[in-house]
Amino acid sequence: MVTNSRVIDQVQVINLQGRLDAHQGKHVDSLLAEAMRTNNRTIVNLSQVHFIDSTGLSVLIKGAKHHREQKGDLVLCELQQPVRIIFELTRLDKMFAIYPTESAAIQALQ
Amino acid sequence: MPKPRSRPGLRPGLRPGLRVGMVTTYPPGTGSLNEYAFHFVRAFAAKPEVAELLLFTDELPPGQEYGTDILSDELIFPQTATKRFIPCWRFNNPLNLWRILRAVQAAKPDVVIFNMQFASFGSRKIPATLGLLTPALLRLCGIPSVVLLHNIMETVDLQNAGFANNPLLERVIRFIGWMITHMILRANLVAVTIPKYVEILEARYGVKNVLLAPHGSFETKEEPPTFELPTGPMRIMTFGKFGTYKRVETLVEAFALLQNQKQTALELVIAGTDSPNAPHYLENIAKQYAKVANIRYTGYVAEKDVAQIFGEAAAVVFPYTSTTGSSGVLHQAGDYGKAVVLPMIGDLAELVTEEGYTGEFFEPNDPQSLADAIARILDEPEHRIEMGRQNYLAARGLSLDDVVDWYLLHIEVLLSKRHKKA
Repeated sequence: MVTNSRVIDQVQVINLQGRLDAHQGKHVDSLLAEAMRTNNRTIVNLSQVHFIDSTGLSVLIKGAKHHREQKGDLVLCELQQPVRIIFELTRLDKMFAIYPTESAAIQALQ
Repeated sequence: MPKPRSRPGLRPGLRPGLRVGMVTTYPPGTGSLNEYAFHFVRAFAAKPEVAELLLFTDELPPGQEYGTDILSDELIFPQTATKRFIPCWRFNNPLNLWRILRAVQAAKPDVVIFNMQFASFGSRKIPATLGLLTPALLRLCGIPSVVLLHNIMETVDLQNAGFANNPLLERVIRFIGWMITHMILRANLVAVTIPKYVEILEARYGVKNVLLAPHGSFETKEEPPTFELPTGPMRIMTFGKFGTYKRVETLVEAFALLQNQKQTALELVIAGTDSPNAPHYLENIAKQYAKVANIRYTGYVAEKDVAQIFGEAAAVVFPYTSTTGSSGVLHQAGDYGKAVVLPMIGDLAELVTEEGYTGEFFEPNDPQSLADAIARILDEPEHRIEMGRQNYLAARGLSLDDVVDWYLLHIEVLLSKRHKKA
């Protein structure tokens, strides 16, 4: 999985690309943990993720939970349709703050 | 500030001290889903958000007691929540609805989870139906209820599952099932383990409170399997509660064929008990196939003996004539790195593909087809090991511990909505 991470307006933005599944879970897990050490407000941009499985969802849930424990927040943005469907099937779209664009997510976390 | 498409739900988080009620079977009780309950409860009890688990279990026969065979397990898996067993219902008792309600009202949990399937409360239609109304009744009484529904009526082959013996009766049962499903869906949330089930329930019943929650693997803290087999006969094992849709006739006949064909010593291990819906089934099988040598009936398998039973098996066979949902036994076979033999039916095959498992397949009710499928595993150790390895990886994909985090998130949102309303 290709990833990159940057800080915009004191918000950590992590871009993921490819499949977010059991094989990539550990990598993303450590990326989120690292993000939280430097900044407890994180956006995960999923615009380039076209597949997510239950392990991928769990990584995001864990990440969000850890952010919350640190009084921070983890939000998602730019979900592609196949990924959005999985969020709807699991009703996790009701659990996460999901924004249509990255700039909207940044603005919300200010 | 732009509005998110979905409301943030992860804040402020569950307040510590959550008291979770669970209506379920539980070991040493032998009712269906007891094995799942054991692991499900263990995962909940390890969560810091959960202070107490109130287990509204079925009543045990005289001489048995809850909580006696899990102490050693708790040393391995630290449990932060306390567990309280409240036996308050009995299989086939028409008063279960009322008795559970009273027990829940007295214990006052924050939320009640039902670990259930359509035949959880009885094999007779009236008690089975009345029991399934309990989640709706709890919600009506102001108690948040979440149902983990392991099967749905729409995908159960009732005739093969042994619940309807003629087409007319099947139609009647399906209609009743449709009504009961409506009632089950009156719970605050209904979780199912297969994506197709969510789609069916949403489309057929027009509801929005159904969600997908993966089955999850049972964490055993065992070392990764070595895939080696013990010396002695090669063991073909089947595990479960038998007599309704899990029937061993074809398996025993396939085993007899294999014994005639092969020089190597074989043993068939039938591990488990009768289904509550089919008393004396295994006793009758033992009589019917008394002439087939090398069959071992283990009876009830205590949790501490499960690892050994699976570990010794060269192949785990699923002699199902129908499926009623995601298979806990398949996840267990994966946990122990086992090669599996599965029937080509319904959502079991779908689950295998979707969740990354692999197996040899056979035609249901065809002993020769089953014998051939087993032989492909026994004859090729490398194939057996490769299959076991893939199933192990599939089973380790998402642990029940992770799945319980999903439930806690949903419960958090459910409770926060109620607090807001209040």
